[in-house]
Amino acid sequence: MKFKLNQLSWVLVLSLLLFSCDNSGSERPLGEYETGILIMNEGAFGSNDGEVYHLDPVSGTLKSDIFEAANTRPFAGLLEDMILEGDRLFLVANTGKVEIVNAGDFKSLGAVSSDLDIPRSLAVAGSKLFISDYGPYDNNYNTPDSYIAVVQGLNGGPIKKKIEVSNKPEDLFVSGKYVFVAGSEEGKVEIIDAENETIFKTLEVLGSPKQFFLEAGVLWLYSTGDDEIYFQSFRLDNLTKTNLITLPLADATGRITFNEDGTIYILTSSGFPNYEDAVAKVSIVNSTFDAEWIKGSGFYGIGFDNKLELLYVANAKGFQGNGTVTVYRENAQVDSQLTVGRGPSGFLVY
Amino acid sequence: MSVLLLIGMIFGFSPQSQDTLVLAEVEVYAPALDRFTQGQKIQSYSKTELQNYQGRSLGDLLQETSPIFIRQYGAGMLASPSFRGTSAGHTAIFWNGLPINSPSLGQSDLSILPVVGIDQVAIHFGNGGALFGNEAIGGSIHLDTKATFGKGFRGNFTQQIGSFGQFNSTLKASFSTEKFSGETRIYRESAQNDFTYKDLGQAGTPEVSAANSAFLQDGFVQDLAWNLNASSQLKTSLWYNNTDREIQPVMGSNTNDKQKDESIRLAVDYFYFGKKSIFNLKTGLVRDNQVFNQSINITSQYFLSGDWDAALSSKWNLKTGIRLNLTQGNLSTYYATDQRIETYQSLRFEPLEKVRVSLNLRQLAYLDQVEPFIPSLGTDWDFWKNSKHQLSLKTSISKGIKVPTLNDRFWEPGGNPDLLPERSRSGEMGLNWIKTGEINVENSLTYYRMNVVNWIIWLPRGSFWSPENIREVRNQGFEYQGHASKTIAAWNIRANWSYTWSRAVSTKGIGENDPSVGRQLPYTPEHQANGKLTIESKDFSAFLGTFFVGERRVTVDGQRQMPAYQLLNLGFSYTKLSWGSVNVPISFQINNLLNTDYQVLYLRAMPGRSYQFTISIQL
Repeated sequence: MKFKLNQLSWVLVLSLLLFSCDNSGSERPLGEYETGILIMNEGAFGSNDGEVYHLDPVSGTLKSDIFEAANTRPFAGLLEDMILEGDRLFLVANTGKVEIVNAGDFKSLGAVSSDLDIPRSLAVAGSKLFISDYGPYDNNYNTPDSYIAVVQGLNGGPIKKKIEVSNKPEDLFVSGKYVFVAGSEEGKVEIIDAENETIFKTLEVLGSPKQFFLEAGVLWLYSTGDDEIYFQSFRLDNLTKTNLITLPLADATGRITFNEDGTIYILTSSGFPNYEDAVAKVSIVNSTFDAEWIKGSGFYGIGFDNKLELLYVANAKGFQGNGTVTVYRENAQVDSQLTVGRGPSGFLVY
Repeated sequence: MSVLLLIGMIFGFSPQSQDTLVLAEVEVYAPALDRFTQGQKIQSYSKTELQNYQGRSLGDLLQETSPIFIRQYGAGMLASPSFRGTSAGHTAIFWNGLPINSPSLGQSDLSILPVVGIDQVAIHFGNGGALFGNEAIGGSIHLDTKATFGKGFRGNFTQQIGSFGQFNSTLKASFSTEKFSGETRIYRESAQNDFTYKDLGQAGTPEVSAANSAFLQDGFVQDLAWNLNASSQLKTSLWYNNTDREIQPVMGSNTNDKQKDESIRLAVDYFYFGKKSIFNLKTGLVRDNQVFNQSINITSQYFLSGDWDAALSSKWNLKTGIRLNLTQGNLSTYYATDQRIETYQSLRFEPLEKVRVSLNLRQLAYLDQVEPFIPSLGTDWDFWKNSKHQLSLKTSISKGIKVPTLNDRFWEPGGNPDLLPERSRSGEMGLNWIKTGEINVENSLTYYRMNVVNWIIWLPRGSFWSPENIREVRNQGFEYQGHASKTIAAWNIRANWSYTWSRAVSTKGIGENDPSVGRQLPYTPEHQANGKLTIESKDFSAFLGTFFVGERRVTVDGQRQMPAYQLLNLGFSYTKLSWGSVNVPISFQINNLLNTDYQVLYLRAMPGRSYQFTISIQL
C-alpha cells in the first residue's frame, strides 16, 4: 500500500528511539495506537464497512474496529489509504471522504467530507492537504476529470481548489514545496507547486505509476507494466528523471512493501483464468529476484515489520466476510495467522 | 356464469349441487394455486387486504405481513426477498402466470412492483421446482389481476398525500357485461423521500435530510376478457410500469446515481372448458429496460405455453403442459440469448375423503443442458375433523433448481459459462388446526428443512469478479401462523400473527478453512414476527399492525450485528362519506408509529414516522 511510511520510517524510528530514551518530560507520550501495526480493512463495496484493526505483534493482542471504538460511530466508508503525518493519521475513503484522527487514540480531529469523488491518497505540504482523487466516473466508467484537491488546514474542512491532473492519480510525495503525483493511467508524474497550487512540471514515465518511496535518500517511483515493473528515480534538486531499472515481473499489482535491507516485496496476481497470486521478492540495490517467493490466492495487501523482520500478507477471502493476515518469517515460513476485518488491504507498521 | 359453474363441477370448489348454486359474481378463471400443492403452504391476500397497501410496494406488504425477509436498501430503493433463508434469486415471481424475474439478474426488485397494479397476491412456501419451475427454491410469489363480469360501469379516482413528499394518484375505470370485461387503471406515485436521519458517516453524526432519494413511478394496467361462448374465454392483461429513481447513497458515500426501470408485461390466455377438463393456451412477453446512470440493460422474454387440466375420475386429477421460453438479453457488456423448453405433469389423487396426495414432475431444457427430473410429492391428511374442529397434517418433499442467470454466464468480464445450476432438496411437515364457532381460530405450524448446493457466489478474481458454484447451505426453520376472528354486535374483530425461526447455515464455503462454515448467512434474521389487529364495522375500520425483525449479521463471520427492530403501523378508514350518489371513502395511516430509528441493511437510512392520507371518489 501507499503509505508514506517508508519516506518517514527513518525519521519515525529515530524519533521513537528519542522518545523512548528521553524521560525528561516535555515530549508527548506515545498513544495506544502509535506502536505495533495498524491493519487497514478496506470493507466491501456497497457496505462501507471499512475499519482499522490494531495488532500488538509482541503480545499478539488484536483490537478490532478501533475507529468506531474511539468515536462511537462507524467509519462508514471504503478505506483506501492511511497516511501518518506527525501525530495525525489520515484515513482516506474512496467513497468520498477523508477522516482525520489523532494517531495516538484514533479520536476524530476533523474530516474532508464534501466535494470529493473517489479519493485515493493524501499528502501534507506545509499547512495544506493535497488529496489525489480519480474524479467522477463518466458514462463509460472512465475518469477523465481526475484532480488533486487542496484543503487549507491539517484538520480538514472545505476544498479550496481542485488541480486537474492526468487520469487516475494515486500516490503523492512531498519534497519541499513540491508535490509529486503518480498519474497511474497515463504514465505521468505531475509535480505541483504547493504554494501557488498549480502544476509546475510534468514528466513522462514508463508503465503505470503506483508508489513513491525513498531508498538511501533517493526518491524512486514504482510502476507496473504488463510483463515488467519499473523503478524510476528522480533528482529532487532540479526535478528531473535519473535512473530507470526494469525488472521482468509479470502481473504485478500496486501492492508493495519494503525491507530495510533493500528487499522489496510485491504482490502479483495472474487473474483470469488461473487466479494465482504470489509475493515476489525483488531489489534495486542487489540481485534478489524471486517472482513466486510465496504462492497463494486471494492476496490483497502486504506489509513488512522491520523490527521483527516479519512479512504480513493480507487475504481478502473474496470479501464475503472476515479476511485473514498470514505472517511470514524471512525464510517464507508461516509464523502465524490472524483473522481480521473485511477486505484487509494494507498495513501501517510503526 | 356457466364458466365458473363448470369449474366448480370439475374441481369441486363448491360442494353444493348444481341447481342450488347461486353465484354472486362470475369471475374470470384463474388456475388455483392450491390444487397440486398438497403438503405445502400458501398464504394469500384478498383485494381488501391489499387496500391498506395502496400506494406502497409489494416489498412493504411482504415484509410487514409475511415470513419473508425483505432486504431494503432505503425508502423506495432496491428491495429483494430472502425466503426461508435463501438468496434473492431463490424466489420466483409470477404475474398472471408468467415468470417476471429479470433473466439477467435472476431476481426482482419488489420496490418497483406497486400493489396498486395487482388484485391478488399469493405466496407459495418452499421448493416449487416441479410446479413452478426455475428459481422457486425458497418459495414463489404469485401476482394476479382479476377481472369481473356483469357489473356495468365503475369508476374510481384515488388520491394519496403523505409525508416526505408522497403524492400518489390512481384512476380506475371498468366496464363489464356478462360477456365482456374491461378494466383500465392508470397510476402515478411519487415521493421526495427527504426524510431526516442521523448520518453515522459524518463527524458528530448530525441529523440530515436524505438526499438523492426521490422516487417517481407511473404506469397503467389494461385487463380485457371475453366469454367467447359457454365453453371458452379469452383474457389479456397488459402492465406497463416505469420507475425513475435517485439511488439513495449508503451513509458515508456521496454518490448521485440514477436508475430507470421500465417494464412491459403482457399475458394472453385462451381457456377452453371441456366437460371434465380445461385447456389453456397462454402466450406473453416480459420486457425490462433498466438504465443505471447511462448503462443500459434490456431483456426480453417471450413465452408460449399450453396445458390441459383434467378430472380423470372423482379421485384422480391430472394436469400436463409445456412452456417454451425465448430470452434475449442486450446488456451493457454483452448480448446473449437463451431458449428453454419445460414440460410438466401434476397428478392429484384422493384415496380417501380426508387424504389428498399430489405428485408433480417437471423437465427443463435450456441451452445444451437438460434437467430431466424435478419432482415434488406431498400429502394433506385431515386426520381429525368434526363440526367445529379440523386438524390436518401436511407433508411434502421436493426439489428445486436455479439456472445460472444471463449475467452469471455471460457478463463481460467474468461471466462463467460453465456454471452449474443451483439445486435444492427440501422436506417439510405442517400441522393445521381450524376451529370454527363463536371465535374462529386457525393455527398452523410448519417445520422445513432444505439443502442448497452449487450456490453461486461472485468472487474477486484478479482485476474483476467472477461467479462460481461454491457454497452449500442448510436451511431449516419453523413457521407459525395464526388467525382469529370474532363478531361482537356490529363489529368484526380479526387478529393475525406469525412467528418465524429460520436457520440458514453455510456447510461449504471458499476453501477448506472457510470460517463461514457453520454460521448463519449474512442478512438472514433468525427471528421474525408480525401481528395485526383489525376491527371493522360496516362503515369504519381500524388496524394496528406490527412486525419484528431480529438481529442480522452483516457478514457471515463478522462481528457486526444489525440490531433487531420492531415497527408499528396504525390505520383508520371510513367508507360512509358520500356526495350525492358518489361514495367518498377516506383513510388515514401512520407508518412507523413510534418513529423508530432503524436500518435493515448496514448504513442504509430508513424513514421514521410517516403519515398517509387517502381519499377516493367512487362512481
